[in-house]
Amino acid sequence: MSAARDMLCDTARAVFAEAAGAGMAPVEQAGFDLLLVAESEGGFGGDWGDVHAVLRLAGELAPDLPVAELILSGLGEAPEALHAAAAVSLMAGSMGQALALSIEHVNTRQQFGRPLGKFQAVQQSLAVMACEVAAVDAAAAALAARLDATGLDAEACDFEIAAAKLRANRAVGVVTAIAHQVHGAIGFTREYDLHRVTIPLMRRRSQHGNDALWAARLGRQVAALGGRGLWEALTARA
Amino acid sequence: MQGFALFPFDPPGDVAALRADLRAWLADHQPQGRIVGRSNCWANFNPDFSRALGAAGYIGMTLPRRYGGGERHPLERYVVIEELLAAGAPVGAHWIADRQTGPLILRYGSEEQRERYLPGIARGEVYACIGLSEPGAGSDLASVRTSARHTAEGWRINGQKIWTTGAHLSHIMLALVRTEEGSERNAGLSQLLIDLDTPGVTIRPIIDMAGNHDFNEVFFDDVLVPHGALVGERGQGWRQVTAELGLERSGPERYLSSHALLEALVDAAGSEPDPAVARLIGELTAEMWTLRQLSMSTAAKLAAGEDPMVEASVVKELGNAFEQDMPRRVQAVVDCGWDDPDDLARLLRTLLIASPSFSLRGGTREVIRGIIARGLGLR
Ligand SMILES: Cc1cc2nc3c(=O)[nH]c(=O)nc-3n(C[C@H](O)[C@H](O)[C@H](O)COP(=O)(O)OP(=O)(O)OC[C@H]3O[C@@H](n4cnc5c(N)ncnc54)[C@H](O)[C@@H]3O)c2cc1C
Repeated sequence: MSAARDMLCDTARAVFAEAAGAGMAPVEQAGFDLLLVAESEGGFGGDWGDVHAVLRLAGELAPDLPVAELILSGLGEAPEALHAAAAVSLMAGSMGQALALSIEHVNTRQQFGRPLGKFQAVQQSLAVMACEVAAVDAAAAALAARLDATGLDAEACDFEIAAAKLRANRAVGVVTAIAHQVHGAIGFTREYDLHRVTIPLMRRRSQHGNDALWAARLGRQVAALGGRGLWEALTARA
Repeated sequence: MQGFALFPFDPPGDVAALRADLRAWLADHQPQGRIVGRSNCWANFNPDFSRALGAAGYIGMTLPRRYGGGERHPLERYVVIEELLAAGAPVGAHWIADRQTGPLILRYGSEEQRERYLPGIARGEVYACIGLSEPGAGSDLASVRTSARHTAEGWRINGQKIWTTGAHLSHIMLALVRTEEGSERNAGLSQLLIDLDTPGVTIRPIIDMAGNHDFNEVFFDDVLVPHGALVGERGQGWRQVTAELGLERSGPERYLSSHALLEALVDAAGSEPDPAVARLIGELTAEMWTLRQLSMSTAAKLAAGEDPMVEASVVKELGNAFEQDMPRRVQAVVDCGWDDPDDLARLLRTLLIASPSFSLRGGTREVIRGIIARGLGLR
């Protein structure tokens, strides 16, 4: 990662940690609406790789706030598909946080005289969850690379946006179910932080296109390519 | 939690030209005929094809020139193997030698072993099999009992391997054996490179549930191999095998070996697909695209000299699940009879029957999840 992005992430982490309690004010003051605005126009001149890094942190620390909307407002009227792309990064962050909370919990909570994480059944569940999180992270990062390669041309990225949002949507069910299962009752309370990421994940699966919508769109695109054409298109795109 | 960082997949040279050349070569050389041969194609042995592929420079690509290799970048090799798999080419004969035995000989082998085996591997003429599993050592590989005693004339081997894919068609086996008498578990193990025509080696077929003869039992009855058969360091077999398994688990064959079915599904659906079929194609494509990103990133990490053990396991776990799920979901959505003669039905039948093995070979699902759990700090 570049030094500029490292600094951006440090700032974002601090701002979102504060915003988790204080609401949008700190995010607005930090000027995230300028992230995608060109430097020549007084903006930060960031790319989608930056947006992805920032939104991943937002998904982790402040998943309820309209950070993506604020960032995309810098583009004027951002196409709906870019909102879907932004959702993928937020979802990746929330899933990473659900996994981190789960690991911490099973390492701490003891039953039968040992931490839960020492039980093979629990280990295997968390491995399944970690695979889903890795898949969504990879999808979000690959989508970011494609968006930057096309200068944020949402139409040129229709394939990747559909694939990434659909993959993220499908991971939601697995990730939220396992996270809650390994937490037991404590994860079902208002007091404990797990719902702060799992409820936004459930919500985002419906927002900016649910599974059926993107699956149909992607499926029709691929059908038009034909069997061999699918492989040729995949390898030509990246 | 820190995300899975995507490692940039950036092979040197003109990748588009590399793909185009190989596609043109395949158009001339890939055997036509049975569609089912295009699925699970890295289990499909065709020595004529392997020799032609070797002559064209597509095997042993990363080996040094002095051993007959191409001195190409590992990611150029990755591009070649993903093209071969996506095309369903019959790469089984040379697959193990090219993927793991050759690189292992280069890394740990003696100069004599390199000169003796690598050129034939790169020509697509020398094939290898993996001698790990034994009747009493499956998931618990550290309990292997096949022994090799150091004697004045050489190593004397006694014992048995099982499930050895392609042993009956291979020239050499890279075997994990116990060289230190009385040693336990993963200590005292070594790797030996055994010529399979050595007296005392008996290979017996095991027919699999699809009716194919792919794997075997291999018996060693006082087999004498020269001292020079030892690969790497005596007693370091466990460490070397772990490195070998990394090569074995991370490749694109873990998600691309059933690609022929996805192609057939798309072709059968036509350009105006039924809505349920369109959604299924969309879901399978999204998974495939994601797996390709994960696999390329892992390959790039491996090429950069890192050891992406956990990432490789993630690719295998998700890839196996994808390849097992695909035929089941196609069967659930597409109306086609079990015995229909068309391509889609044939592929579907073949993959439904073959796919239970996907999460067994190369480390079971439970073992792979255990490795991932260790990566999470739980074990
Ligand atoms: C098609 C095919 C090709 C193969 N080719 C080769 C080859 O070329 N060379 C070679 O050496 N081997 C080969 N194998 C063998 C393969 O590596 C083994 O099948 C595998 O390691 C599992 O061993 P096993 O079959 O003895 O099952 P077991 O170890 O008996 O396991 C049975 C089941 O129990 C589970 N299990 C076992 N231990 C545990 C545990 N501690 N915790 C939780 N679950 C557990 C396993 O995950 C599995 O689901 C091949 C296998 C197949 C199916």
